[in-house]
Amino acid sequence: MAEFSWETRGPLDRALVAGRHGAQGDAGVSLSEIRDFDLVQVMARRGKAAEMATAAQVRFGVAAPETPKAVGRADATLIWSGPDQFMVLSKGRKHTMESLAPVFASCASLSDQSHARVLISISGAKARAMLAKLSSIDLHSDVFGVGAAAATSMDHTSVMLWRGADRDGQVVFNLLVFATFAESLWHAVLDSAAEYGVDIAHSMEL
Amino acid sequence: MRITCPFCGERELGEFTYLGDAKPARPAPGASEDEVYDYVYLRDNIAGVMDESWYHGGGCRAWLKVTRNTLTHEISAVEPAPGAGARQVAK
Repeated sequence: MAEFSWETRGPLDRALVAGRHGAQGDAGVSLSEIRDFDLVQVMARRGKAAEMATAAQVRFGVAAPETPKAVGRADATLIWSGPDQFMVLSKGRKHTMESLAPVFASCASLSDQSHARVLISISGAKARAMLAKLSSIDLHSDVFGVGAAAATSMDHTSVMLWRGADRDGQVVFNLLVFATFAESLWHAVLDSAAEYGVDIAHSMEL
Repeated sequence: MRITCPFCGERELGEFTYLGDAKPARPAPGASEDEVYDYVYLRDNIAGVMDESWYHGGGCRAWLKVTRNTLTHEISAVEPAPGAGARQVAK
């Protein structure tokens, strides 16, 4: 019988090569895969949306987003993912299925997505120009400011896109994509960004 | 063609999937064979304004009722289908 080696590895382990890619000179785009995060999907049960909002308020000290936006807290980001549903993104096992289940037991269904999605952080002077090639939504700052979010498609792949706080004076876009589609989208992103020069890295920090 | 999702805003057609006429309603249990046949197979072929079901699968994954003119593609109304999100189904 054939011997198989079952190794755990991230969806981008093969595709992500840290360092420079594309045009030389100053990198216009920085790509970083964020690893080891906790992600829980929270969906209100029928007629329980208001109760879910109250529970979220108590737990996180902030209202769950009811429109497409991402609300950042010190230890968690709540991201709108559809009507009466949102995702909780955090680090260090602070908000896991185990700790959130009792909070939402009476009003919402939870689903652990920590290992089901890949999180890519995109920044740089050319980040918006690069994304414009993949997305049909308007990402201009006047329309898509800090905290704006969208459930949309890029390269025929469903993604969650939201704008984080600016870093070093540069815009930051965060992209959550289904794990099995991540490698394909990663290549599309690299192709799109190559002409601007890309810095590629991975990080454990949100 | 673009559709303005009531949850997400204006989006391109590629994010949506077309189901068809939004009018047919599932017959009551115990309905006659003719009524069920009508529900499953028979559709009006409207040249003009009709209500259609669309699915925003490439976005918020909500079902929508879109009022569209099949001759001009003009969309006059978009609303969540009954039961979209956690809202109570309209009785």
